[in-house]
Amino acid sequence: MAKVKPRVKVPKKAAAGDIVTIKTLISHPMESGQRKDKKTGELIPRKIINSFTAEFNGAKFFSADIDPAVSANPYMQFSLKVPESGEVKFTWVDDEGSV
Amino acid sequence: MSSPLWTYRMALGAAVAALTVATALAGTVGPGDVEIVDDSAIPASLTGVAGDPVAGKDVFTGRKLGNCLACHQVSSLMDEQQFHGEVAPPLDGVADRYSEGELRLQVVNSKVINEDTLMPAFYRVEGLNRVNEKFEGKTILTAQQVEDVVAYLQTLKE
Amino acid sequence: MMKKTVGLGVAASVVLAGGLAVAELREGYVYFEPSSEEHPLDEIISGREFRDDATRALQEDDFENPGFLSLEEGEELWSTVDGSENKSCESCHGDVAEGMAGVGSTYPKLMAQGGKTTLTNIENQINTCRTERMGAEAYKYDKPQLTGLTVLIKNVDRGEPVNVSTEGDYESWFKKGEELYYTRVGQLDMSCAHCHEEHYGEYIRADHLSQGQTNGFPTYRFKWQGMGSLHRRFSGCMKNIRGVPYAKGSDEFLALELYTAWRGQGLPVETPSVRN
Repeated sequence: MAKVKPRVKVPKKAAAGDIVTIKTLISHPMESGQRKDKKTGELIPRKIINSFTAEFNGAKFFSADIDPAVSANPYMQFSLKVPESGEVKFTWVDDEGSV
Repeated sequence: MSSPLWTYRMALGAAVAALTVATALAGTVGPGDVEIVDDSAIPASLTGVAGDPVAGKDVFTGRKLGNCLACHQVSSLMDEQQFHGEVAPPLDGVADRYSEGELRLQVVNSKVINEDTLMPAFYRVEGLNRVNEKFEGKTILTAQQVEDVVAYLQTLKE
Repeated sequence: MMKKTVGLGVAASVVLAGGLAVAELREGYVYFEPSSEEHPLDEIISGREFRDDATRALQEDDFENPGFLSLEEGEELWSTVDGSENKSCESCHGDVAEGMAGVGSTYPKLMAQGGKTTLTNIENQINTCRTERMGAEAYKYDKPQLTGLTVLIKNVDRGEPVNVSTEGDYESWFKKGEELYYTRVGQLDMSCAHCHEEHYGEYIRADHLSQGQTNGFPTYRFKWQGMGSLHRRFSGCMKNIRGVPYAKGSDEFLALELYTAWRGQGLPVETPSVRN
C-alpha cells in the first residue's frame, strides 16, 4: 500500500484582503471500486477520498465531495480572500475514515 | 472474465466451432501448408467456405482480432470507428488494386512480399520469437476469420 | 549539442533521410542533433514533445507534477537508516544534490557488483548499496521505495544532457542492446524500431508514437495512475506485441537501457516526467 502524503502550497505572507491561490496535492490510489483483480476476477473494493475541506481559523471556506471518477493523487486549486493572519487547515477523508 | 454474458458467448462459440469442424475441417489449410503462388498471391481459400464480409468487418475492426485500424485508415468506417492509425497505407479502394489472392497473402503473411514490413502475419506460427504463452502455437486469426476479412476487403472499392 | 526549435509550418514537412515523412508534431517542437554520424535518427526528440499542452504543463509545474510525490518519498528514505550496518544513503553519500551529481545523466554504468564488473542502472545500484553496504534487503523492482530513490537521484541531474558511455568495455553491452532493439518478438512479430524509429510522430490507433526516449524515467504515467520504471515500460511494450518480456533488472533490459539511452544522447534529463 502506497503511503498517503499531502503536499500543500499556501503563500506564507499576504496582506489583509488579498486573494491568494492555494494548491493541494495528495498521494492516494483512488481505487474506483469498478476494477477487477486480473487474477481472481473479484472486484477490487472501492477506496477513494470522498471529501475534502479547507478551513481558515476554524471556518470552512472550501469543500468538495469527490466521486470515483477522479484519478489517483487528486489535485485541488482554489482561492482564499485573507481577512486576517491565521491558519489554514486541510482535511481529506477517505472511505476508511480520516487521512 | 467470469461474467454470465461472457460464459454464454463462450459456450455459443464452442458450439459453432464444433459444427464448423464437422463440416469444414477436411478443407481447412493449416498455417504451415498454405500454398503461395509466385510469392505474390494465395489464390485458394483457406477453408473452402466463402468468406462473410459482414463478419469480416467485425474481425477487421475488433481490437483483439485483426485490429486493422490500429495502423490503416478506411474512409467508410470513419463515422463508426474513432482513431484510425497512420502507420500503414489507407485501404480505400484496396479491392481495385489487388486480386482476392493477393489480398489473402497480405493478410496471411505480408512479409513474403516485403520482409521489412511491420505488419503482423495473421496466419502463421513458424519463425516467431518469444511469443507469449497465451498465444504460442496459435495464429492471430483463424482460417475462417482470414477468409472473412478478405471478403470484407473485397468490398472496399472506389 | 545543438537544441533546435522547429518554426511555423516546418513541422509537418520534415523528411527523414530514408525518405519517410515524419508526421505532425505540434509547431515549435524541440529537437536535438544526433550525437554521431552513425545515429539512425536525424533528430532526437523527447517523449515530452509528443504529449499535449496539458500534460506538458503538468510535468513543468513541480508542485502539480505527481512525480514529486515519489521524489519526496525518496528524499525521506535518503536519510533513513536501514539494515544491520546502521547506515542511510546519506551516511556515505552526504547531501543528495552533491553526492549524486552526474549520476542520473550517465547511468547505466559498469560497476563492481558481487565481485564482478557488470552493467548497472540506478535501481540495481541502489539495491547493491543496500545489500552490500547497508546490510539491508534489496527492494523489489518498481516498489515505491526503489522508484522514489531512483527519481530523487535522477532528478539531481534534471536538465543535464544524457551522456552514457558506449565504447571500450561498454561496447559488448551496447551491441547487445542494439541487437535487441532491432529483433522482432512476439506473436505480432515487431521490433522496437518498427514503431519508434520508422513511425514516430504517427498515430497507432489513438496512440501518438514517440521515439521511445528514456530521459524522463521513472515517469508518472496516466495509464498507470502512478510511477513506473523504464523496465516496466519495456515490459509493457513487449506484452503489447504479445511477447514474453525479459525480467526487470535483467542483463537484457540493462543492455537495452544503455542502447536506448544512447539513442537519446544529449536530451536533457526530465525525471520525473509525466506521460500518457
